[in-house]
Amino acid sequence: MKPLIKKLTETFSPSGYENAIREVITDEIKDFADEIRVDALGNLIARKGSGGKKIMIAAHMDEIGLIVNHVDEKGFARFSPLGTFLPHTLVGARVRFLNGAYGVVGAEYLKKETQTKLAPLDKMFIDTGATSPKDSPVKIGDVAALERPFHDLGKRLIAKSMDNRVSVAVLIETMRKLKTTAHEVYFVFTTQEEVQVRGAITSAFGIAPEIGIAIDICPVGDTPDSAKKEVSLGKGVSIKIKDPLMIADPRIVTWMIKAAEKANIPYQREVSTLGSTDARAIQVAGAGAMVGGISIPCRYVHSPSEMVDYDDVQNTVKLLITLLEKKIEL
Amino acid sequence: MKTDFLKSLLSSSGLSGFEIPVAELIKEKWASLTDELDQSALGSLHGLKRGSGKGHSVMIATHMDAIGLIVSKVSGEFLHVANLGGIDIRVLPGQAVIVHSERGDLSGIIAQPPAHLLPEGEAKGAVALKHLLIDVGLSARQVARKIKIGDTVSFATEPTEMSGGLLAGHSLDNRASVAALTLCLEELQSRDHIWDVWAAATVQEEIGHMGASTSAFQIRPDIAIAVNVTFAKGPGATNWETFELGSGPTIGLGAVNHPFLHQQFKELAEKLEIPFGIEILPGRSGTDGDDLQISVEGIPTIVISIPIRYMHTPVEVVATKDIQRTARLLTEFVAMLDADFLEKIVWDD
Repeated sequence: MKPLIKKLTETFSPSGYENAIREVITDEIKDFADEIRVDALGNLIARKGSGGKKIMIAAHMDEIGLIVNHVDEKGFARFSPLGTFLPHTLVGARVRFLNGAYGVVGAEYLKKETQTKLAPLDKMFIDTGATSPKDSPVKIGDVAALERPFHDLGKRLIAKSMDNRVSVAVLIETMRKLKTTAHEVYFVFTTQEEVQVRGAITSAFGIAPEIGIAIDICPVGDTPDSAKKEVSLGKGVSIKIKDPLMIADPRIVTWMIKAAEKANIPYQREVSTLGSTDARAIQVAGAGAMVGGISIPCRYVHSPSEMVDYDDVQNTVKLLITLLEKKIEL
Repeated sequence: MKTDFLKSLLSSSGLSGFEIPVAELIKEKWASLTDELDQSALGSLHGLKRGSGKGHSVMIATHMDAIGLIVSKVSGEFLHVANLGGIDIRVLPGQAVIVHSERGDLSGIIAQPPAHLLPEGEAKGAVALKHLLIDVGLSARQVARKIKIGDTVSFATEPTEMSGGLLAGHSLDNRASVAALTLCLEELQSRDHIWDVWAAATVQEEIGHMGASTSAFQIRPDIAIAVNVTFAKGPGATNWETFELGSGPTIGLGAVNHPFLHQQFKELAEKLEIPFGIEILPGRSGTDGDDLQISVEGIPTIVISIPIRYMHTPVEVVATKDIQRTARLLTEFVAMLDADFLEKIVWDD
C-alpha cells in the first residue's frame, strides 16, 4: 500500500478543488466497484454489493490549503486558509499552487524582539519570487497546498496530507481486497471535510444509509508533554467513542470492538477532545443513521509532515474487511 | 403534583449519546398513553397519539439526554474525563458521581489536585476539567480491569423535595419538560383532539440537537413545539433573560418562534389564566427548536420553556407547579387545533 499512499499524498487537492485527487482515485477503483458516480459537490461515490445493510464508508479526499486573497505591491501573496492551520508549523513551509507555481511561507515580525512570538496567519505571506503583482505567477483566488515529499521510515511514514489520504488508501485497498460483501456498501470519497464537513452532508443525504462509518486520522497523546489522550501511534486501530462534535452510536462501537477482538486486530478506544469527522454529518443527514468512526492514529496533524504507523494502516484495512464481509447484528 | 415519575427520570442516567436507561423509563410510561411508539435511528422516542382528524400533526419535542462526563484516560487509580455537553466546571470538585462501567455502576468522587501541584496560573478560579480526576476507591489494577475509556459518568445526587413546592436535582434540564409532556399525554387521554400528536423524547440535544433535526425529518409534522428549560431568577441572575421561579412557563418570541404560534399561545394562556413569561430569543434559542424550524422544508415552530435555577449544575431547581402549567398549556393548545388551523398561519398580516 506504500506506493499508493505516496501517490495520494503527493497529489495536490485542497478543499473545494478536489479534481486532481478524484481523478487519481477513480483510476484506482474503477475495476473494483459495481457503480461509480460523482454528486453535485464532487463527492466520488462507489457502490459495491447489494442486499443486507446499506452502509456508507466515508474518507474525505480533500486536504488543507491556502487561497490567495491579494498580492501586495511588493509581490507577496497574502492568503486565507482553506481549513485549519497551526501557525507555528506554517512559517518556512513550501507550497505548490494548482497552476504549478511554487512559494515559501514567510511572516512579518521576525525581528529579534518578536521572534519568539507566533505570527497569526494574516501576518504571513507566500513569497513566490515575484517583486510586484505584475510579475507574480499567482493572483487572487489561486489555491496552493503544502509541498512535502512522502518518506518511508520503515514502520512509520511521513507526508503532507496524510490527513486524510492515508484513509483514502485504506478505502481503495479495502475495495480491492473485499471479494464479497453481504451488504450494499457505498465507498464515498468526500469533498470539503476540512472546511466544516460539507461533502458528507450531501452524499449522506443522497445515499440515506442505515450505518455510516467515517475513516479519518486522529491526533495522539504519545509525544512529549502532549494532550491527555490515550491513543498512541502503532498501538492499533482507533475506534471512536466520542469527539467534540459527535458521539458514536454505542451499538456501532460494540460491533466494531467485538469484530476487532474476534479477528485479533489490535485496537484502541478513542475519546477525543479535538477535531471531528464526516461521521457527524452522516449521523444527522435526513432521518439520521447509526454512525461510528475508525481512526488511524497520526502525529503532527495539520502540519506539513504528518506521521502514521504502517501497522495501524494495515490493521484498519483488516478491520474494515472483517466488518463488511459478514452479516451484521446490532 | 405527583413527582414519582419525574424523580425516577432524575435518578436515571441517560447522558447525551447514551440515552438508553432514560429512554426505557419513558417508553414504559408512554406505551399506554400513545397509539404507536417507536425509535429513530439515533434513538429518539416517537410516540403517536392519534387525533380524530386526518393528516395534520403537531410534534412536541422534549430532549431526554442529560449533561455529564465521559472517561477519556485512565491514569493508575484515577480517571481523566471529558465533558458530555456544557457542564458547569465550577461546581465539579467534590461532587459524588456514578461511573457506568460494563461491570456495573461504581460510586466515585470528583477530586481536584492541591493548588501547589497544578501548573502555574491554573490554580486561580475554576480548575480546568483536564486537571480534575475521578477517584472510585479502587487500586490501579482493579480500575484497569473494570473501567474503560468511553464509560460515562453521571451525577449521583438524588432529587430533593424542598419547601414551597420546589424540587432540586440534576437533569431537570430537560427531564422536567419530559414530565410536562407526559402529563400532557395523560390529560389528552380524556380530551377530544383533531390533530395527531407526536410526542418526541429526543436524544443528543446538549451536544448539538442531533435528535431534533433527524426526528423532525422522519415525522414531518405541520407544526413543532420544543419544550425546554430556561433561566429562573436567582443569585446573580436577575436580568431580562431570567424569569421568576413559579411564575409559569415562558413563550418564546424571536427568530425561531413563528409569530402566529406565539400569538396563539399567548392568547390561550391569557384565556386560561395560566401565568406566563415572554422569552425574547433574538437569534438561536439553544434548544431543539433551532433545528426543528429548519428541518425538511421548514416547520412553524415555537419554544416553550420552564424556568429553573442553577442550570447545568447537579442542583437545578424547579417549581413543580410550572411543570403542571406547562402540561396544561400544551394540552389546551392541542385541543384547540382545528382542521383549518394550518391555513391561518400566514405571513400577510
